[in-house]
Amino acid sequence: MTDLAAGLEQTLRRVVDPETGRDLIAMGMIYEARIAGTCAHVTMTTTTRGCPLTEMLRLGVEAALLAMAGIETAEVRLTWDPAWTPERMEPLSL
Amino acid sequence: MMALVLSLLLALATGIGPEDFDRPEALAIVHLFALGWLAQVMLGALVQFVPVLAARPLAFSRLALPALLTSSFGTLALAGGFLSLDGYDIARPFFLLGPVALGLSFAMLAVMILSTLITRQTLRLPEVRMVIVALAGLAGLWLSGAAMVSTLTGSRLAVDISQALPLHMLFGIGGFLTFAACGVSYKLFAMFLLAPEAASWQRRAVFALAALMAGLMMTGLVMLAGAGSVAPLLIGVCGISLAGCALYLDDVRRLWRARRRPTPELNMSCSRVALAFLALSVLLLPFAIWQGGALARASVFAALVGWLSTLTLAQMIRITAFLTWIQIFAPLIGRRKVPVVQSLTHPRRAGPALTIWSLSAGIGTLSLATGFHAGFRLALCGLLIAATQILCELVAIRCLSHLAPPERPARLPPLILPSLMNPPHSAENQI
Repeated sequence: MTDLAAGLEQTLRRVVDPETGRDLIAMGMIYEARIAGTCAHVTMTTTTRGCPLTEMLRLGVEAALLAMAGIETAEVRLTWDPAWTPERMEPLSL
Repeated sequence: MMALVLSLLLALATGIGPEDFDRPEALAIVHLFALGWLAQVMLGALVQFVPVLAARPLAFSRLALPALLTSSFGTLALAGGFLSLDGYDIARPFFLLGPVALGLSFAMLAVMILSTLITRQTLRLPEVRMVIVALAGLAGLWLSGAAMVSTLTGSRLAVDISQALPLHMLFGIGGFLTFAACGVSYKLFAMFLLAPEAASWQRRAVFALAALMAGLMMTGLVMLAGAGSVAPLLIGVCGISLAGCALYLDDVRRLWRARRRPTPELNMSCSRVALAFLALSVLLLPFAIWQGGALARASVFAALVGWLSTLTLAQMIRITAFLTWIQIFAPLIGRRKVPVVQSLTHPRRAGPALTIWSLSAGIGTLSLATGFHAGFRLALCGLLIAATQILCELVAIRCLSHLAPPERPARLPPLILPSLMNPPHSAENQI
């Protein structure tokens, strides 16, 4: 894993779902994350389509990505296809 | 919440006992509780929640405030109007104005909710259909209520009150409040438990039974206008309620077992108590319909206080915390560390209050069933203490009192929740 890719995962793990306290990767809400040059691309979802936090979560991820060293632009896309299900969550570490 | 506390205070102050529910002041207090507290909070919850159900913004959102004000006026006018039955003629015009204002308010809310909900995609969902059936129940509630007010004020449009009253209560408690609570709870429970949302056969069956029950009650309304007896229909409603309740509880049990949240939060634990009261009130329903009297009062109390109010109070604490969190911390997501929603609440303070509420609801139900006056008064005291504690907890949540001082913003949010349609405060300016 390159430093930039590791940095991308670390960044996304700092963005937390406020309902569960778990990060978006652990929640299974990040469908795709990659870096192309100085642009970070993320495809993400929310636990339910009509979630009032939808746009604020998208903007939060965008802000976190833009704070990464070496990233100048961020493209965060929302999708509900496939829909999120609880099975996407990482198991809780005991 | 103000209507809840006020109705409990008035019930204590007027000395109402288990046998006094025919008294005009008791009717006023019951309507203050059922309309001012439960119906208002349910309609408010629907306005807040249908955008989540339909995954689209609320339509005609500007109608929300006029609808709230009109509904508040209508409730107070109707409650005050009941006093005209006790000889206070000054209250008589209010008795007629109440249903007019309430009808106007319900119509505005129905326009907002139906315009948001009805799309080709959403109509496939059983929970959306349940909410639509609940609005039909609200229409039936209003029509039966308005017909009885018309009768009591001596108008030429008169109905047989003994036939209309059970229908009115079934429309209000079952047809509107319970159907709406069931429709919303499917989504809400799945969200709070982190359980799969997929519609089950039980959910589709509950919707079918709810639609059938609403159809039977509407038929009863027509028969009321024709002076027919609604008794055979009530037996049908009773059977459908028992089957529908069993299927609904089985569906919730399925959600509970499939949950990914290992330890359910306080709102969900208390919702289980509320569901037990739902089962109790429905089990009492056959006795209520056949015998009336004490068991009918116990069934209504278990439904209004034990089922609907416990569910509402438990979820209200959690939802107030969530909306407050959005208002203050959502703009900070991804920019700095933010507290979780649960840190805005204090389960050790809210938990005892909800326990007192539930115990009092149980004592009240038992006291009404047995005609035990002192027990009923004790239950009212417990309910008032619990409601006051929960009100204080809601204020504490809005004031972010449970957050550690470094996490609190410099400027607190206003005590009354603003509409989420407005952009949230810029928290960066506050912390």
